[in-house]
Amino acid sequence: MDFGKFLETPEYDIKIITYRDIFQSEALENSLFGDEYKDLSAIIKLDSKDMEKMGIKSGNIVYLKNKYGDVVVKAVESDSENPHRGYAYMPNSPWSNSLVSDETGNTGVPNYKLIDASISDAKGEDIADIEKLEVVNV
Amino acid sequence: MEDEDKYNVCTACSILCDDIEIETENNSITGVYTACRKGVSRIQTCNEPMPCTLDGKDTDVDTAISETANILKKSENPLIFGLGNSTEGAQKKAIELAKQLNANLDDTSSFCQGPVVEAILNGEINYTCTLDDVRNNADVIVYWGADPANSHPRHLSKYTYFPRGKYRQKGYDEDRTAIAIDVRESSTAEICGNNSYLIPPQKDEELIDALIDALSGKVPKVSFEMNKKRILELANILKKAKYGVIFAGLGLVYSLDNFEPIKRLMDKLNEVSNFYFNPMIGHYNMRGFNQNLFNETGYINRVKFKDSEVKHGYEYSVVELLKNKSVDSALIIGSDPMCSLPGSIARNLNKIPIITIDPCETLTSRKSRINIPSALSGVECGGSAIRMDGVRVNFEPMIETSKISDEEILRRVMEEL
Repeated sequence: MDFGKFLETPEYDIKIITYRDIFQSEALENSLFGDEYKDLSAIIKLDSKDMEKMGIKSGNIVYLKNKYGDVVVKAVESDSENPHRGYAYMPNSPWSNSLVSDETGNTGVPNYKLIDASISDAKGEDIADIEKLEVVNV
Repeated sequence: MEDEDKYNVCTACSILCDDIEIETENNSITGVYTACRKGVSRIQTCNEPMPCTLDGKDTDVDTAISETANILKKSENPLIFGLGNSTEGAQKKAIELAKQLNANLDDTSSFCQGPVVEAILNGEINYTCTLDDVRNNADVIVYWGADPANSHPRHLSKYTYFPRGKYRQKGYDEDRTAIAIDVRESSTAEICGNNSYLIPPQKDEELIDALIDALSGKVPKVSFEMNKKRILELANILKKAKYGVIFAGLGLVYSLDNFEPIKRLMDKLNEVSNFYFNPMIGHYNMRGFNQNLFNETGYINRVKFKDSEVKHGYEYSVVELLKNKSVDSALIIGSDPMCSLPGSIARNLNKIPIITIDPCETLTSRKSRINIPSALSGVECGGSAIRMDGVRVNFEPMIETSKISDEEILRRVMEEL
């Protein structure tokens, strides 16, 4: 993938909170390599006002990046009744783990729950299958 | 129903639901009743069963076990990791194997609920109770940084909020109050309705101290937007509880630097009220691993055996061992670290020989030098496990299989060594 082209599109800072989803867990039990698990995992839920500001629509493909890794996922409008501007939600999965820091402050515990990253539109890009993620191909 | 009197145990999570009914035909499970969505999927087994392979080619179990022993024998600093989805029998075997190999031994509690289980087993937290106690007695249930509606779907219906209990005959209608404290509007928070409290990330300790102030008759203060009246209202519910329980999720555990704030809160709550504290553990037998290793070494995870010595510390955690590239082989049992570790750390697994023992294919198994299929515990083999509240649960297999258990695989690896 040519990540250089994303430099031309505007980037926005976002804090990602990860969570568990029973439908995603069920899909994982059925097939880690199936489309259902990928569809329920490789997503980011954004506040509607943030989406407006970023010019991102529900269903758009977005590029997430920080110093620990990068990943392409689908943007979805959050169904939360409470606004959560600046924060986005991602189900816990290898896609969200692509962005988790390896710095633990000598605790052995990475910060899985709160991830700082940048988000930008990734028009034309595909969401990587689980086996194409960087973690398994380095 | 094949046998209406026979209930089975679900091993999809650490509630270990013991009221599962199944239908079978020709030794295949054709129906699963009572379990949650995750449980039904676990019991019906995965779509991609693990093949027995060596260097990507099919092999037989004997060859795979023999080659596993060869790799481990040659290894100077091996890692054994996983076991949260293994029976207690397999866990005890893995501890023996780690001793024999002078290996590092760790499990997912290392980056999960480890600190809570450690505090309970060390006696630092004395206020624990069983899930049966909760069902029979609890009138105030607090889910803090936990979303059981998604992570443990039957927690609320089987033990905490919805059921009738010995001293809670009116159940959630009148006898129980469920509270959610979280950084987002979770499915559990929706169930809790007005008793749902949203806080910003990393502000859990601040809310704990504000609650302690409120319980002490002082005016609570927080730096974030949360009405003092709401804090006082929450403190009041906690204070009036006859039998309260806090269930700690990873949201709470990850937001704290250490366990002191929880101890402070539990001490205060038990000064003014009657409160218990329990962890929301994920894998069905993570607590079993912690307890078995604790019985053997005095530590719940992150150990390195060196002759008769046991070393322990963060540097022996799976995260640090892989980050520092200090292990030269990895035996993974019933776990998928390629999936569950940060990508920046998991990628280092690609640089060492991996052996995976699992009933199903995993991301880790697809990069492993050796894969050994094992029987799915609770479905294809029996054993025992420790439930999230410390209660031991025994289970029988639901169907017969020709696959061997991970306990037997480990026994045979030790024999080869």
